[in-house]
Formats: sequence, C-alpha cells, structure tokens
Amino acid sequence: MATDAATRDGPVLSVSHLVKRFGAVTAIDDVSLDILRGEVLGIVGDNGAGKSTFLSLLSGYNHPDAGEFRYHGRPVRISSPAQTRRELGIEMVYQDLAMSPDLNVWQNLFLGEESRRWALFLDRRAMRSRAREVLREMNTKIDPASPVSELSGGERQLVAVARGLLFDRDIIMLDEPTAAISVAKAGDVLHTIRSLRERGKTVVLISHRLEDVLAVADRIAVFAAGKIVSVAENKGLTVEDLLHLMFGARAGGARR
Amino acid sequence: MTVGTQAAGGAAEAGGPGGAAGPGGSVPAAGGGAPSTAVTRLRSLWRLLVGREGDVRRPIAFLVLGVIVATIITPDFIRPSNINSLLVDNSYLVVIAIGEAFVIMIGSIDLGVESLLVSAGMLIAWLTVFHGMPGGLAVVVTLAAAVVIGLLVGVLVAKVHIPSFVVTLGVYWGFRGVALLINDQQGISPSSRGFSFGGIAGSAGGVSNLLIISLAVVVVAQVVLSLTPFGLWLKSIGSNELAARRAGIRADAAKISVFAISAFLAALAGIMYTAWAGTIVPSAVEGYSLEAIAAVILGGIPFTGGRGTAVGAALGALMVAIINDLIVLLGVPSLWEYVFVAAVLIVAGLQARAGRLVK
Repeated sequence: MATDAATRDGPVLSVSHLVKRFGAVTAIDDVSLDILRGEVLGIVGDNGAGKSTFLSLLSGYNHPDAGEFRYHGRPVRISSPAQTRRELGIEMVYQDLAMSPDLNVWQNLFLGEESRRWALFLDRRAMRSRAREVLREMNTKIDPASPVSELSGGERQLVAVARGLLFDRDIIMLDEPTAAISVAKAGDVLHTIRSLRERGKTVVLISHRLEDVLAVADRIAVFAAGKIVSVAENKGLTVEDLLHLMFGARAGGARR
Repeated sequence: MTVGTQAAGGAAEAGGPGGAAGPGGSVPAAGGGAPSTAVTRLRSLWRLLVGREGDVRRPIAFLVLGVIVATIITPDFIRPSNINSLLVDNSYLVVIAIGEAFVIMIGSIDLGVESLLVSAGMLIAWLTVFHGMPGGLAVVVTLAAAVVIGLLVGVLVAKVHIPSFVVTLGVYWGFRGVALLINDQQGISPSSRGFSFGGIAGSAGGVSNLLIISLAVVVVAQVVLSLTPFGLWLKSIGSNELAARRAGIRADAAKISVFAISAFLAALAGIMYTAWAGTIVPSAVEGYSLEAIAAVILGGIPFTGGRGTAVGAALGALMVAIINDLIVLLGVPSLWEYVFVAAVLIVAGLQARAGRLVK
C-alpha cells in the first residue's frame, strides 16, 4: 500500500479515497494524496474546487463521509481539531485568523493547551516566557502580553504560526495566508513558510495566488470540481500551466 | 482601534486645534499648556482612573461615586450600622450576580435566577418544615436539585441551540410556578424556633455568615476566572466562540457548566435569603434577575462577554444595593427604585460606549 511517492522521506500523512458531501453537493470527490515529510505542498484550485473543504477534513473540523487517513503509514481517525493537533501534530492556520480579541497574545497562543501548576491553575509566568521565546525565534517584536485586538493582520498570522512552533507540530497548514493581510506583507508570509521548511516542518499551503505558491512550494496539487486533477513537482511550472490544469481539466474546458 | 495608539487617536478625535497631540501625548508629563494637551491629560487621567472596558477600576470608581453621592444625599448612609446591614441584606444579590457574571462572560444571559432562588427557598423550607429533613441534608438536596436544573438549561442552550434568552425566560416563568406549586401558593414559615438551617444567617465573631459566604463566593469566582484554564476558556468563548472551538475548547461543556454554576449560586442565594428572612413566600425577590444582570453590566462585563471580573460584578451588585438603600433612607416610594436602576444602567452603558469611542 505504501506509495511510490514516498521516495523523499515517506509520507507523514496520507489520505485515500476521501469523500465529503454537503447535501447534494460533493465537495470532495474521491481524493487521495500523500503529504511528504518536510515538503511545502501547495494546493491550488478555483473557488469551490474543494481546497478549503479538504483542509477542514485534515484539521478535524469536518468529518469525511468516506475515505481513510494514514499517519506515518498507520491508519488513524481524525475526529476533532484538538485531536489532530495533539495526536497528529497538525496545526491549522485559518484564513480568517480568528482569535479571541479580549485575550492577549500568550493567552491565545496557549488557549486549549495551557501550562498548569498545581494541576488546576494557569502557569502564567511559564506561558508568557515561552511565548516570548518563540516569538523572538520568529524574529518578531510582538509582546506576548499585548491584547490580540492590537495586532495587525500580519502579526496575527505570525501568532497563528507561532502556535505551531510552540507545540512543535509536524505539519502546519495555511489556508489562504495572504488573504487577510496586505499585499506588502505577503512577502513576509512566504519568508515565514521558507523558514518553517528550514526547521523541518511540513507545510501545506492553500492559496489562490498562484505566484505565491510557485514561489515556495515543492509540489503542487491542483483541485478542480472536488477532485485532484494533478500533483506536480514544482520544476519549471508556470502560472499558465497551473491555470490550464485548473480550468482546462473541466468538462468543456471553459475559463470561468 | 488599537490600545497602543488610543491616547493619540483619542486626542485627534477630540479635535484639538490641528490635532496637535503627538504620539507621546499620553504621557502626562509631556507638553505645555496647549488645550489639546490638556484634553489628552484629562483622557489619560480618565484612563488611569477607570482603565479599559471590563477593568475592575470602573466599578470601583462607580461605587466610590455612589457612596459619595449617597452620603451627600443622606449622611445616615455612611453610618457603620447602615453599611453593615447594606452588605448583609444584599449578600444574596451579590451571589446571584456572580452566577449571572459567569453566564454573561460567555455572551449568554440567565433571566431565571430569581425564580430558581425563590424555588430553592420554597424547596428547602418545604423539606425542613413539612418533612423534618435535617437542615444540612436539605441544603445539599436543594443545591443538587438546582445543579440538575442548571445542567438541563445548559444542554438546551449548548446542544439544542435554543438561545439562552428563551430557555431562561422559560425558567423564569416555570420556576416561579414551581415556587407557587410547592405549598399551594402559600409561603412557608417555620415553627417559633425558626428554620433548622437558620444558622446560615447567624454570625461568627460579630461578622454575619451571609457576608462571609458571599465574600467567599466572590473570591472563588474571581480565582476561577483569572487563574484557571476554565476561566480563560469562558473568556475565549465570550470573546470569539469560533476561535475557542478551533483551539479545541469544549465550548458546549463549558456552556453547560456555566448554567449549572448560575443555578447552583441562585439556589445558594435562595437558601441564604430564606435563612435571612426567616420565612419564604412564592412572590419573593421579584425583579432580581434583572437586578443581577444590571449589577453585572455595572460591574463592567459587557453583554457580549469576554472580559471583566467577578469582583466587578459584586461591586455592581453593591451599586444596585445602594440605590435600593437610598430609596428607603429617603422615604421615596419604592417604585422609583426601578427608574433609578434604569438610569444608572444607561449611564453604565454610556460609559462603556464612551470608552470605546476614546479608543
């Protein structure tokens, strides 16, 4: 069953024959994919092609109607965001970067996985200093004690990614990471992705900005109408190639 | 929008000539006597005194103001005996306000606390007076019954997704009905020796037990809210429930437990009230759900939840108590109480709004 694609480092996470329906709509239609350790996997596709649904299944936020997951070759169930995070080391960075604006940075970073003392109480000091460490590693000057409502979109992005580093997750999934922040900051996001890769993290990047994906991805999976129409090594690929795969694959081949 | 620049932004908004206040304008020492600087100084003084929305300094400032006004209106107010009876007589209001604070912290509301309070009072009186149940056991049974009700309410809100307003409005009507049913619409009074659990309203070393109980409730609630993961989860749910759920917070369980806490404290307040009053009638404490809600809002927890303190809610309850007390001291017809509470609530709403504008 081990796939040939496992030549690089072996798949950290494999999905096979994944199906997800919302009522009459089949959002994910028999999708199989290996996510290789240490790679940046780009996922592209038109709106409604199933990219975000796919991520929501991997993160445990939605549940598939059929299909199976393998984590390091071992069959696993994906049941909830908390479980995927803790057991499978998957950190999901959502497009909207939703956080608790009334809580400060370290509280958001540790939310749901608080350090404790005497079993019952928050270990505030430990969390604050650990948060400061990780943020410093990421070369940002964000103060762990500042309220999240003070942060810019780019800073929120960094905090969301910092969560992945804080708990040493293996896989960090970014859903349209450049959507909620200014174009000028998009370069920073790509820089962050590259540095995650240097740290040996596996990154799954969903984006409709094809240039961004081409700039950082090792492989690119193209979604169309709920299916994966192509998984290509990012060697000599162009925006035109991707557009052709995204739209040419459709019945009739119409652009739009 | 951001707090870091709020001082400067506020000054610019105030429209000082040319918006002269620079980014450093929030430092009181900075600048000379330009009008815009004076405005900035006033604003930073305001912020120093009352803090951000949800800051405990706001209800403290409110309370100090209330005490001063009350003392000016009627000097009798500040007499220690009056202060003492104010605190003791309103201990149960403080307790239900704390329960309400937990509920409002997650952005829900509990309209039913007064009905649970009076039902619990009727239940414990019925158990002890009519059935001879020992006081201690009756207390445990009453509190346990309330927790069961609270869990049911929580399930209806969190799992069945009925808005808390609707569910607890049902509790409000339904348990007023239960209170009426328990003794065929009649109140319950103990024999001449008083309730067997009446010691709850007694005193130890000159300090009323009721005062000690309410103080303990406030302290425990504040510790839970500020120092435990559970408290953090509640704030995150009120602040952004989606983000909380994505972070793996079991929001449904947290919501259910919050309504159980509120019901538990309402029943505790009912036991305290019944012990204190020495009798209980089904029509008691009408309007106290709204007073508890008013107390929480006065105490600085916004209606949407997410921030604020239990101590603030307790201070808010004392504000409501002062208004009630003033009305008695002044001999004003008690119907004015409602008008006063309304006026103070609107002021509280205004200050929260003003705080946001300053930001």
